[in-house]
Amino acid sequence: MIPLSYFLILSIILFVLGTIAFFIKKDLITMFMAVEIMLNAANLAFITFARSANSLDGQVIVFFIITVAAAEAVVGLAIILLIFRQKKTIKSEDLTLMKG
Amino acid sequence: MNSFLALFPLLIIVFAALLVLILEVFIKKENRNYLAYVSLFFLIICGIICGKFWDKDYSYFDGYLFLDNFSIFLSFIIIITTFFVILLSMKYIFLQDVNYGEFYSLLLFALSGMMIMVSSGDFLVIFLGLEVLSISSYALAGLRIKDEKSSEAAIKYFLLGSFASAFFIYGLALLYGASHSTEILSIIDYFKSETSLSLMALIGLGLVIIGFGFKIAVVPFHMWTPDVYEGAPTPITAFFSVGPKAAGFAVLLRIFYPYWKVALNSQAIFWLLCIISVLTMVVGNFVALRQTNVKRILAYSSIAHAGYLLIAILAQDNTSLVFYLTVYLFMNIGAFAAVIALGKKDREYLELEDYAGVGFKYPWIGATFAVFLFSLAGFPPTGGFLAKFYVFVGAVRQGLVPLVIIGVLASLVSVFYYLRIIVYMYMREPSTEIEIYIENPALFLVLFLCLYGVLQLGLFPGNILILVQQAVSSLPLF
Repeated sequence: MIPLSYFLILSIILFVLGTIAFFIKKDLITMFMAVEIMLNAANLAFITFARSANSLDGQVIVFFIITVAAAEAVVGLAIILLIFRQKKTIKSEDLTLMKG
Repeated sequence: MNSFLALFPLLIIVFAALLVLILEVFIKKENRNYLAYVSLFFLIICGIICGKFWDKDYSYFDGYLFLDNFSIFLSFIIIITTFFVILLSMKYIFLQDVNYGEFYSLLLFALSGMMIMVSSGDFLVIFLGLEVLSISSYALAGLRIKDEKSSEAAIKYFLLGSFASAFFIYGLALLYGASHSTEILSIIDYFKSETSLSLMALIGLGLVIIGFGFKIAVVPFHMWTPDVYEGAPTPITAFFSVGPKAAGFAVLLRIFYPYWKVALNSQAIFWLLCIISVLTMVVGNFVALRQTNVKRILAYSSIAHAGYLLIAILAQDNTSLVFYLTVYLFMNIGAFAAVIALGKKDREYLELEDYAGVGFKYPWIGATFAVFLFSLAGFPPTGGFLAKFYVFVGAVRQGLVPLVIIGVLASLVSVFYYLRIIVYMYMREPSTEIEIYIENPALFLVLFLCLYGVLQLGLFPGNILILVQQAVSSLPLF
């Protein structure tokens, strides 16, 4: 059997990768995908801990997080679409109307 | 007491939100004000019911949702905020072309999210409430869909908000792994007993604090605040600056009131909060000095106020914290009401130059705005002075003297930019004449209610202080 700590390490790697991608990527959709990866890293951690504690709570929490991520995706993609209609671009460096 | 009644205030708000959404289909565009009246009606009912539940201590869902005095008081604060914001919006959405039926409904959904946040002691439920609030807020910020600034505000808010949520939920995962529970009290209980896994739990708590730091806009997690506040429709900005902040600090209080009692391991978190508080006060106030847009000045001022509020958290001074939030509600909504008052069809006056001479041309707006600014700066006899005074005195009693010195100096700096607006209003010759749409009784009602609130809390705070003390004494400890 694969030890549980492997899953935990994988989840930490995913979370860190998501954080880095959020800061270095310039494309709004890719930034959004980075956030989704971070949420899924949290899901993996929850499942791992639920398994190690032999409790179902963690697995139920995962369903809540999946639902929340879906709801966020709806609003987020709508906003990105709105930006694309107005500016014909979805690069984050083009969002420069407000500064200071 | 376990009772279905505990859900009542929340059900009323959600029902009102859905009702407004349905009614919107049947009501003509010119008659959209009726939607505001419906929302106000349900808010009043909800407020009355919350008042009836004072001291009753109802709870439901195995204690996952409860209405102790603290959550009722915080619910009052956010219900009054929403009430004022709806009154402010009634004319604004016609003048500035934000006249969509979803406006009031989204506001009510955001309110329901905040009510979930303040009335739960479980991190998972708090997370769900936070997301209900956040997702409605993203949509609200971008509601002025023809304005590119508004969409830009929405996307910035959305990306950084969901990024912060990911931090929060990962922190919660670590806390769950360490303590096998998502309830605040049992997590803190774990901090008291165990030491073997405590580094993981400590990192988890740190990530949770970072997640909340984004929501309550503390430095260095404040980057989104000025842009979102500038781009969003102004009544929504007023809503963002008070509502989510009150709900976020309520949750922080629920975490840290028991947490400080557990001396073990608390040093790292204590210093983390200290540094955040100092940075927030210094950066917030100094960057505000070089802003010329009034909405941005108020945005940085609201960042700075989060710093003072963190001092109260550090000093374990619950009464002053809640009192500060109450005063902050009246003075900040009042200041934004004055900003909203200066506008006409498809035009808002937001630059400092536009305010030249306003004090003489529109004496009522100028005078009330000046009172709110004095209150934000902390001059007696306004509520802002007493609120700051209580926070600083409480901190000195706890021995946090260096923090208080920085706080006092920072608020001295803040006097400069608050007074600058007043100087523009009363001592500058106007270069261009501004015209405003004056027939706005709801807005003037808000202005005078806020003025009354600020002066009442500054001169005779006794009754409110008693209520606040009853509220915080109901906070659960082990």
